[in-house]
Amino acid sequence: MSSSEANVLEPSMAVASRAKTARRLTIARAMSEAIAQCMAEDASVLVIGEDIAKLGGVFGTTQGLLQKFGPERVRDTPISETAFIGAGVGLAAAGMRPIVELMFVDFFGVCMDAIYNLAAKQSYFSGGNVRCPMVLMTSVGGGYGDAGQHSQCLYATFAHMPGLKVVVPSNAYDAKGLLRAAIYDDNPVVFMFHKALQGMGWLGTVPGSVTPVPEEAYTIPIGEAVVIKEGSDVTLAAWGLGVHQATEAAEELSGAGVSAEVLDLRTLAPLDRNTLLDSVARTGRLVVVDDDYRSCGVAAEIIASVCESADVKLRSPPRRITFPDVPIPFAPEMERPLLPDAQKIVDAVRAMLGT
Amino acid sequence: MDVTVPIEILPADTEGAISVWLFKSGEAVVEGDVLAEIMNQKAATELVASASGRLTILVPAETAIMGGQLIARID
Repeated sequence: MSSSEANVLEPSMAVASRAKTARRLTIARAMSEAIAQCMAEDASVLVIGEDIAKLGGVFGTTQGLLQKFGPERVRDTPISETAFIGAGVGLAAAGMRPIVELMFVDFFGVCMDAIYNLAAKQSYFSGGNVRCPMVLMTSVGGGYGDAGQHSQCLYATFAHMPGLKVVVPSNAYDAKGLLRAAIYDDNPVVFMFHKALQGMGWLGTVPGSVTPVPEEAYTIPIGEAVVIKEGSDVTLAAWGLGVHQATEAAEELSGAGVSAEVLDLRTLAPLDRNTLLDSVARTGRLVVVDDDYRSCGVAAEIIASVCESADVKLRSPPRRITFPDVPIPFAPEMERPLLPDAQKIVDAVRAMLGT
Repeated sequence: MDVTVPIEILPADTEGAISVWLFKSGEAVVEGDVLAEIMNQKAATELVASASGRLTILVPAETAIMGGQLIARID
């Protein structure tokens, strides 16, 4: 790995030096491997969803699982999210560890009662006697002309609800470790993977999402953000695709003499406010990147958390780079200008600093 | 040496695509490294380096390719 790439994406790991080049994986392959390892260890782990068995997942998240574990544990379902996500909640209540794929997060409407009112609450309602160790993995994000019902992020819709955990990996190393943590978590975890990072070829893969991934199993704890580039003038807080845009912006700003810190939140619920506040307390400035809708979003929550803190003295009003409050257009020339990108982050920082 | 798309992965008369390069052009690779994923229909297959050396990518990811096509060199 070159030194410049190490700066961009050296996840929280220590890959031992080895004769062979460290194996690299896409997020899709890393997720498939994490699931396979958990299934081999624990017979209660199983996968259900649309096109996850024979096809291996539209986004490659379940590659090779049907061949390894058979149709009893890797099951294609009819196109009814109401039925199979409800079934997932039931399986979890009965002691299984189901992984359920909601192909696009945009399809959440018909299964939201199972998610919001059953999965998120039954542990509370039963005094902890009925748990919901379910992973709901789902694709998010646009940028490839798939219009308003296949391009949303909806991070805030899920991070808003007490009882749900929400994870959004930015690279393959984190995806493998976070998915393992999610599978063994006794609470429902919404695992949101961004289509632009998945490595499927037809969606445009951001190269930084492909990282060295150890073959052995490992866990990255849910709820821990990581500083992936240190800086002193401004904190760029991001997750998923936004991490790569923030990193690109930080490199450009560095050329202009601005030292930007890049924070990969990795988990949106629970939100690692300690790492966030510690960073902004040092830099005094904050720009949040969020490709979900602007109003009532996770970016707003992050900015509110910073503003509420007595320990953080802001040197400039915080800014958020978000998708505006409109349905996502189909036409690429209409969609693209609305999405966050590195240039918008650079412009926001320069306006903030008056440079 | 030339890196071509094996016709066992993608027949000569069939169009596929490079889903993703796992290395950048100019990086050192070692025999046995998985260099790329090749997409044929909806199945992804790994392309493994058959030599060690410096990789030069000739065809970028997300471009249509045919089986047997030259896509990179390892020198």
